[in-house]
Amino acid sequence: MNILLILIAVIVVVILLWLVIAYNGLVRLRNEADQGESSIDIQLKRRADLIPNLVEAVKGYATHESATFENVSNARAQALGAKSLSEKADADGAMQSAVGKLFAIAEAYPELRAVESFVQLQTELADTEDKVAAARRYYNAVVQQFNTKQQTVPTSFIAGAFGFSPREFYRLEDDADRQPVKVDLN
Amino acid sequence: MTLQQQIRSARMRTLLVIVLFIVLMAVIVAAINVAFGSGYGLIMGMVAVGYGIFGYIAAGSIVASASGARKIAKEDAPELFRTVENAAIAAGLAKTPDIYIIEDPAPNAFAAGRTPDKAYVAATTGILQLLDKRELEGVMAHEMAHIRNRDVRLMTLAAVMVGVISMIADMLLWSMIFSGNRNSNDNNPLGAILAIVAIILAPIGAAMLQMTLSRRREYLADATAAELTGDPEGLARALYKLAADQRPLAKVNRATAHLWIESPLRDNKGMRSSMAGLFDTHPPLQERIDRLQEMGGFTLPPIPKGAADA
Repeated sequence: MNILLILIAVIVVVILLWLVIAYNGLVRLRNEADQGESSIDIQLKRRADLIPNLVEAVKGYATHESATFENVSNARAQALGAKSLSEKADADGAMQSAVGKLFAIAEAYPELRAVESFVQLQTELADTEDKVAAARRYYNAVVQQFNTKQQTVPTSFIAGAFGFSPREFYRLEDDADRQPVKVDLN
Repeated sequence: MTLQQQIRSARMRTLLVIVLFIVLMAVIVAAINVAFGSGYGLIMGMVAVGYGIFGYIAAGSIVASASGARKIAKEDAPELFRTVENAAIAAGLAKTPDIYIIEDPAPNAFAAGRTPDKAYVAATTGILQLLDKRELEGVMAHEMAHIRNRDVRLMTLAAVMVGVISMIADMLLWSMIFSGNRNSNDNNPLGAILAIVAIILAPIGAAMLQMTLSRRREYLADATAAELTGDPEGLARALYKLAADQRPLAKVNRATAHLWIESPLRDNKGMRSSMAGLFDTHPPLQERIDRLQEMGGFTLPPIPKGAADA
């Protein structure tokens, strides 16, 4: 009788311990996902802030490209107005293609490419692209862990009860094209 | 093995090595008890633990000064700075680590600092010249992986444990020499012999465990780096280039060897027996490249024979 009581007590304690650990693990991943999302936001904001300067710089040389400038301004407005994660990702894609076109135009003006402030802007933007990509990889890796944990036994038993729900990945539409280029050394 | 499998297996093996470390400590303490009685063990244990704590605290500040590193700002080396910033973002670190440059033509890099907030990375001028952007990204992601995986703390702890075990063994050996036969008379002689064997073998075993742990953490850092950049090939290419370079670092000692991206010590090249392998801090570069190839599904030509197998 005593042994049975002890056994039950041990099982209860183990279950409680597991509950605490599993719950804390889920909270930690959720916080990391939040942190990852705000890290993406910071970089997207940083890029949006660079855009007006870039447009000004190119405008001085390429006067007949108002459609492209408008495109860029629209993309920027879309980026600044985006609320949900998928809206942000869409705006991100639109911005990438608009800025790409802007740089393609700049290619046609050698004087512009000689201006130091423009070259600096170009470097900053390329760097911000890299940082958005880095933040995205971190966020998606955390979300993958978070979602897997919620869907696998035994954590799946408590995830719903404690109000955890799977997170959305940050996906760009042309994800397949963004793999690093494979080069063979041979 | 896929990336996740490699990460899991590296974690399991780390755990195993730590358990073995603890077993080794228990063995040497038992050896003291058998040979001398438990009072002896307590005093030695306290001295050794005191030494260990001191060593752990002191280890943090020694590394930077010993390597002759100079802290840089973004203007000094924007490319390197950006690469480290990006790696820190991908690793989800709250703060970009401080960056140091070491004036040394031998290409190498390391990470140090026991917690992510106090961590820093260092690169030699040699590695900055040798690698292109993509390869440098791989190397910096490897360093960031060491920081995120708390390897610096783990390896500092391992080094201190090795120090403590050797110290106890030394003290025991000396006390046996000075106290002559007194102890072996009132204890059983078989126990005393076993104690002596343990005293001799424990430090060697501890050093071997330390190196095994170090190699495990290198594989793990490679796998984590591949995850951070999404590009195992960048790091593999960097390792390939490093393999072709035979220059040893000017200022380095055995105590900090485990911190570097590849082993900075080249004194044992040419004699790659399995015995030498047991005491290496790093796995062979070819083996590391092979694992990255498995993750990324690409192929580099094998490292040419005669290149340093660090």
